[in-house]
Amino acid sequence: MKCKACHRKAAEGDFCLLHLKAYENIVKKYDFWGKALKISWKEYLSEIEQNSLTGEWSKEVASYLISNEGMRDVKES
Amino acid sequence: MFRCGLRLLRNYTLIITEKPDAASRISSALDADGKAEKIVENGVPYYVAKRSGDIVVVPALGHLYTVASEKKGKKGYPVFDFQWVPRYLAERGAARIRTWLKVISKLAENADKFIDACDFDVEGSIIGYSILKYACGSKEKTAQRMKYSTLTKEELEKSYTEPLPHLDFALIEAGLTRHEVDWLYGINLSRALTMAAKNYSGKYATLSTGRVQGPTLKFLETRERSIKCFVPTPYWSIKAEVKIGGAVFEAEYEEKTIESKAEADAIIYSCKGKDGETEKIEIKKFQQTPPLPFDLGSLQNEAYSLFKYTPLRTSSIAQRLYLDALISYPRTSSQKLPPAIGYEAILKKLSRIPAYRKLATALLAKPALKPTEGKKEDSAHPAIYPTGNLPERNLESTEKNIFDLVVRRFMAVFGEPALRQSIKVTISVIGNRFQLNGRQTLEEGWLRFYKPHVRSENAPLPTMKEGQKVSVKRVVLENKFTIPPSRYNPSSLLRRMEKEEIGTKATRARIIQTLHKRKYIREERIVVTDLGFEVVDVLKKFCPTVVSLELTRKLEERMNEIQQGKETRENVLQAAVEILKPVIDKLKEKEQIIGARLSQAIKKARLEERIIGACPTCQNGKLVILRSRKTGKRFVGCTNYFEGTCRTAFPLPQKGLVKPLGIVCKSCGWPTVRVWVKRKRPWKLCLNPKCPLKEKRSEKR
Repeated sequence: MKCKACHRKAAEGDFCLLHLKAYENIVKKYDFWGKALKISWKEYLSEIEQNSLTGEWSKEVASYLISNEGMRDVKES
Repeated sequence: MFRCGLRLLRNYTLIITEKPDAASRISSALDADGKAEKIVENGVPYYVAKRSGDIVVVPALGHLYTVASEKKGKKGYPVFDFQWVPRYLAERGAARIRTWLKVISKLAENADKFIDACDFDVEGSIIGYSILKYACGSKEKTAQRMKYSTLTKEELEKSYTEPLPHLDFALIEAGLTRHEVDWLYGINLSRALTMAAKNYSGKYATLSTGRVQGPTLKFLETRERSIKCFVPTPYWSIKAEVKIGGAVFEAEYEEKTIESKAEADAIIYSCKGKDGETEKIEIKKFQQTPPLPFDLGSLQNEAYSLFKYTPLRTSSIAQRLYLDALISYPRTSSQKLPPAIGYEAILKKLSRIPAYRKLATALLAKPALKPTEGKKEDSAHPAIYPTGNLPERNLESTEKNIFDLVVRRFMAVFGEPALRQSIKVTISVIGNRFQLNGRQTLEEGWLRFYKPHVRSENAPLPTMKEGQKVSVKRVVLENKFTIPPSRYNPSSLLRRMEKEEIGTKATRARIIQTLHKRKYIREERIVVTDLGFEVVDVLKKFCPTVVSLELTRKLEERMNEIQQGKETRENVLQAAVEILKPVIDKLKEKEQIIGARLSQAIKKARLEERIIGACPTCQNGKLVILRSRKTGKRFVGCTNYFEGTCRTAFPLPQKGLVKPLGIVCKSCGWPTVRVWVKRKRPWKLCLNPKCPLKEKRSEKR
């Protein structure tokens, strides 16, 4: 199976090893954003997708997560 | 025997130098009248100087010999048998070396004494050794060695009259081993990667890696990974603008980062409309010691941070200044300035230059001159210092900058420590503490000598006392984000390589350039390309030892031990082959998979190179530089053409080089390219045929 964010081979679940690391970072950093701004997972994704400091792979994963509702449920639980 | 003017020369001393400029300078310095005769034979210059006897000085062109495979013409791998051969046999475009060696061999026939006067370092020693051995008929054992750190007349004469009795064979042995180990790594690994990609796709692209290149690319890749995976987190900082003595200063809230917006808002709210009071004033005086003398690495770093010169550029500028006898030998790792260089004499000479007169005179007035020195030593050369000679030609602006930097640093190391003062004022605004920081120089000390290049800023504060009322103009909330790790630039990458002790001062800058050339990295603030990622991934997966820092460092240590006589060349070469053999086997076994991955990355890299920007017509396609199959002409077309949805196309100049600029036209927002045509100034071309700027220009005409 191919990575949802690039052409590489998916390692685990939807992403390749590179984008998987970005996904893990996104999940980890949500705690900080939640504490700082009291925002939802979806709002958080949209914030980091637009932030110029967000890394390219994290942006690609955020875009994918925004358009993929299924992943959102996993996180909000 | 050969003819020089009307004389027939024989029984002369043959001196070999590394470069033609050095030959010219050495011959002039050794000639009794200071005017050596220049002879050019088949385009090869050499010089005849007259002293007590005749001296012929012939230059090399850097390395004239190199390591090559014993089996000529075969491009396969693995290759473990090698020999030293003239460069023209191993490299394309080195045909000139053949004539060069012929002339040297001819001059060697009638010489009765040989002196190696190449630069006194590993590379210079190998250059001299290989010429003496292969081109002069095994004269390396009897040849003497001139050792000098500057190309000044005095030092050259001294090094000629008091030469070292023989070459430094331990240094040469270590250097030869380094070349051979690097060749074994480079040729085998690079061929494995290149051939894997070629055998898979049928298309040739040079891919390379090596003993130092691999680990260097790996730490660039690690940094790139963390930048690309970075997720910023928000935080807030608060600043209070306070008015003291008619001037406005910015005081920072005591907590530099506030992680919650609600908490930050509460602080702002409580400070609103309130004034403050100075609670505490802390004054600290501290000494700023003079900087250390320049070694090559620190000169490269300083030149990058001040002038943005890449390490390679700084190194070549410094080399030119050295060949002009303006500074000492730059490829040194020493931070020591021994008294033998003659501090006073150099300063006296420098005082002839108006810009340095006052400063040099001030130093000469000191009762004793003692430089600040660092720990690093180099047995061959001292730290970089000016010779005191005046430039004999108009220096280019880049050369002027480096020369000035070396001169001022030299003077600064003899300066007194600077006395600086820092002031920290704590201002309380109803219990919320803000800090106001000031800094100023009380005594300039060495800063005076290094002034144009000093970066410590002065931010003095007015005189204040504790309990003083302070008017708060406003309190500002700043929304900030954590930032990703900074990208390496050529200078910080060089520092990292130095810290990790991989490569040598002579090779590091060139390795960075090779990574650029191979398109593994791009831009000055280094970005690793997809191809770079793929190469590191392949190496990490199939041969992790090749990118292992530990292994490279161990080999490096063993090579240094050869120089100290604790290790042998044979042992180190055998160890290198033992490491390489299983690696090569693995790469061969997985050639198909590796080839597929690399070919895909090369294809993507090639396409990316041709992408100019977004298509202004269909908005979702990309404009790419293409060639017509029918006419062979170059043009720009939209990638959606192949889907049948967009037929946008623009003509391009057919001559020269066209490269995407990566920026849009300021006037119309369309993508732009840069065009390079021989003997013309490169120009920027907007693809929009109706670009208002173009129309304006044609109206003017």
